[in-house]
Amino acid sequence: MSEGGSTLGRIARRSFLIGAGVVGGGVLVGAGVVAWRLGAIDGYKLPASDGETSFGAWLKLGRDGRVEVAVPHQDMGQGIYALAVMLAAEGLRLPLEAVRATPAPIEARYANPVMLLDGLPFDEAAHGPLKQTAVWTFDKILRVLGMQGTGGSTSTRNISEQIRTAAICMHDMLARAASARFKVPADQLKNVGGAFLTPDGRTATYSELAPDAGKLKPNDIKPPPLARGAYVGRGAPRFDVPLKTYGEAKYGIDTRQPGQLYAAIRHSPRLGGRLDRAVIPAKIAGVRGIVEGKDYVAMVAETFAAALAGLEKAEIVWDDSMASSVSTKDVFAAYRAALDKGVDFKPRWIVDSAGDVVRASGKEIAATYDAPFLAHATMEPMNATAFVTETEAKVWAGHQSASLVQLMAAKAANVPSDKVEVFTPFLGGGFGRRADLDYIVKAVEIAGKFKGTPVQTIWSRAEDIRDDVYRPAAMADISAKVDGDGLPSSFVYRIAVPSVTQQFVARALPSAKGGMMADRTTVDGALFPFYGLPTRSIENFTVDLGIPVGFWRSVGFSLNCHFVECFIDELAAAASTHPLDYRAKLLARAGSYEPAIRAARVLEQMAAFDKANPLPPGKDGAMAGRGYALTASFHSFVGEIADVEIVKGDLKVRRVHAVVDCGFAIDPPNVVAQVRSGINYGLTAALYGRVDFDNGKVVPTNFDTYPLLSLEDAPNISVEIVNTGAALGGVGEIGTPAIAPAVANAVFAATGKRLRSLPLTLGPT
Amino acid sequence: MSVEFILNGRRASLQAPPDSPLLWALRDEKDLVGVKFGCGAGLCGACTVIIDGQQVRSCVTPVIDVAGKSVTTIEGLNGEVAKAVTEAWIRAQAPQCGYCQPGFVLAATSVIATDPKQTSEQVFSQITNLCRCGTYDAIRLAVGYALSSLQGAESQEKGAAR
Repeated sequence: MSEGGSTLGRIARRSFLIGAGVVGGGVLVGAGVVAWRLGAIDGYKLPASDGETSFGAWLKLGRDGRVEVAVPHQDMGQGIYALAVMLAAEGLRLPLEAVRATPAPIEARYANPVMLLDGLPFDEAAHGPLKQTAVWTFDKILRVLGMQGTGGSTSTRNISEQIRTAAICMHDMLARAASARFKVPADQLKNVGGAFLTPDGRTATYSELAPDAGKLKPNDIKPPPLARGAYVGRGAPRFDVPLKTYGEAKYGIDTRQPGQLYAAIRHSPRLGGRLDRAVIPAKIAGVRGIVEGKDYVAMVAETFAAALAGLEKAEIVWDDSMASSVSTKDVFAAYRAALDKGVDFKPRWIVDSAGDVVRASGKEIAATYDAPFLAHATMEPMNATAFVTETEAKVWAGHQSASLVQLMAAKAANVPSDKVEVFTPFLGGGFGRRADLDYIVKAVEIAGKFKGTPVQTIWSRAEDIRDDVYRPAAMADISAKVDGDGLPSSFVYRIAVPSVTQQFVARALPSAKGGMMADRTTVDGALFPFYGLPTRSIENFTVDLGIPVGFWRSVGFSLNCHFVECFIDELAAAASTHPLDYRAKLLARAGSYEPAIRAARVLEQMAAFDKANPLPPGKDGAMAGRGYALTASFHSFVGEIADVEIVKGDLKVRRVHAVVDCGFAIDPPNVVAQVRSGINYGLTAALYGRVDFDNGKVVPTNFDTYPLLSLEDAPNISVEIVNTGAALGGVGEIGTPAIAPAVANAVFAATGKRLRSLPLTLGPT
Repeated sequence: MSVEFILNGRRASLQAPPDSPLLWALRDEKDLVGVKFGCGAGLCGACTVIIDGQQVRSCVTPVIDVAGKSVTTIEGLNGEVAKAVTEAWIRAQAPQCGYCQPGFVLAATSVIATDPKQTSEQVFSQITNLCRCGTYDAIRLAVGYALSSLQGAESQEKGAAR
């Protein structure tokens, strides 16, 4: 905290992009507050029962001699449980099998401040709204401090140093206990994998030493900097992989409680519609009752099939007096109108600016891009199992925040939050969808009508798509004035889009009152550019037509990186410069700005790949093209190269190469897997993804109308990791932002056509 | 009325209405929760089971259709091909969230079992399951591992027989 007390206005912009020490290197007043709060509760110890020894908040030694590592994050495919096991095993010098992961208790100790701090919309330019924004944000942080959460590609960044520290401290405590027992100096003890050996051949296992070791005061030991070790930097097999391969892994939908009933749910077909009434026309076998919610009806039965059949037969009357009549075209018309109104539109936020864009001179190049609403479409549809009595509640469900589940389930069950138990199995996908807990609240409401009986509520795929919180649709006007070399003398970026954060806070924490704020996520990927754009204005026009929007893998980066990187490609083409060379020039212009240096390193590797692997000609005369995109998201830098072919008017992505700098890859094979995953997720969006609205109704209903990328259409993806040793960046979402622009730019290279709307549609050729 | 069939190698019966989906009967009546619900319309393959050797989407298969047939779920999968496929899946570290993976494993096992001498491409073209985590590169790798282990094992056996 050497810079503690620095004013908010002096915050260096790179502290947000680099995130030194994860939370901004101590330059944030807010980080100080968070650290203080965490420090005050740092004496927390994992509860231990008979025969177990707790070694603080993260580790304990179980009765069976295995070490348990507490994980406050949910595993939704990113492998955080396996990573926690790997780090604990490394620090304790144990084989992987000697460590198991367990969900951490719901305690403020396990909060995720990284996720919150990453979302701060600071910039050094906008002093006016800055203070107001800061007050608003810190108010939120203090209110939600203690909130566990999995999202924003933060789980590794949030817990890896804490687990490494805990493991090295526990090892030291065990060594000191062995030293005392054998009266041999600790440095003469040899660790032989779960036991200490004295020079004269006496041994004591961790289990034998634990009761004594657990009573010692931990020393203040810091783990060495991340470097290649037994598992770190190499990777290790994930313990969850066999479970998932053999179908033994349990998800929320697999919850089975004695006497459990099943509920099938149907929501109002129109946004904002309410349930008027619902009746079961006749007795239906197995049906136990109907629950009338505010905007849904649920059929409760002894089997899910009976619940579904019952729902089909129910007579449901909806009250559409409050229903929305919004259609997709209205949304884009509103965006267009807002952008056309320009500086007079409110609310308009200049989130990042420098120089005077009005007075800049040069030839103007302008383009408008847009992107549609998207559904998350996790493979495991929304579901939750709840058990409610007059005094307590239990919830079994996949989710992205145990603390929020506890808060919201308590409210829905009308019991105190410390009377809510939350059981979290594996998640059949999260992607941000399970940060919004409407499906859990409804399951608790439904179970509340069957007090004392567990009820599992499962959404059909149609309900899952119909009642999502969507990746917002957006429209961006981008313009630049270019000098004689074709480089921008000004850059103006204006995006019309609703605010995800604002809607999320209103849904999750309605009591956390706050005014309008600049939502950083709306412009993530456009602000604080790593390119040298000394004269710029990055602006958000908040336009919200009431369509629910939420966090969708990579959030704002999925929009802004696409728009920006396509536009940069347009500037390169206008300057008749190779897209890689053009980007190199723009990076060089940023000087010694650290993000520019890291981006340039990634770009160099892209150029090397490009040179070594020329674009193959299209098969059977198909047009072929190669496109490039360079992005920074979640404190990591990613460049992607996409090779496409146009086969009889169909766009095929053949190959993708990604270059990744996430600081240091703790588990390289999993970094590769996650980046591939992010790319394929982004490809679904680039090629097919769109959720349209028609008179307030959601158009797509299943994978026939909301297609996902298939095995046949998935390209071969290679991933190259550049370890720069910078502070850890995120991994889970970073593959997504660059793929749509890389493919769109490849289409331009192949056809000369600029596709400025997503999904990419070739039209008649 | 109950439907009689062979489930994971043993005689079994289902009490569920004959026109109701096999998926829910297996999950709720037989507690075979490795059979996953993804779309309810035969589009994603999360609910894949093997019926008389063929990959089938249980969410659009009425219970009555399995009368007298042999149904294999992930819980009952065994045999040489299944062993090769599951071991290959683990070697390739294919699953991420893992929800769709039992369906993929069953689909791959059923396709490979029909002819272990197929090429990888031939196998890929018969797998239309969907994975939202996009584990397709790893799945292709796993299929390759499974084929080479089966084909290698077979040529070794031939060698030994000679």
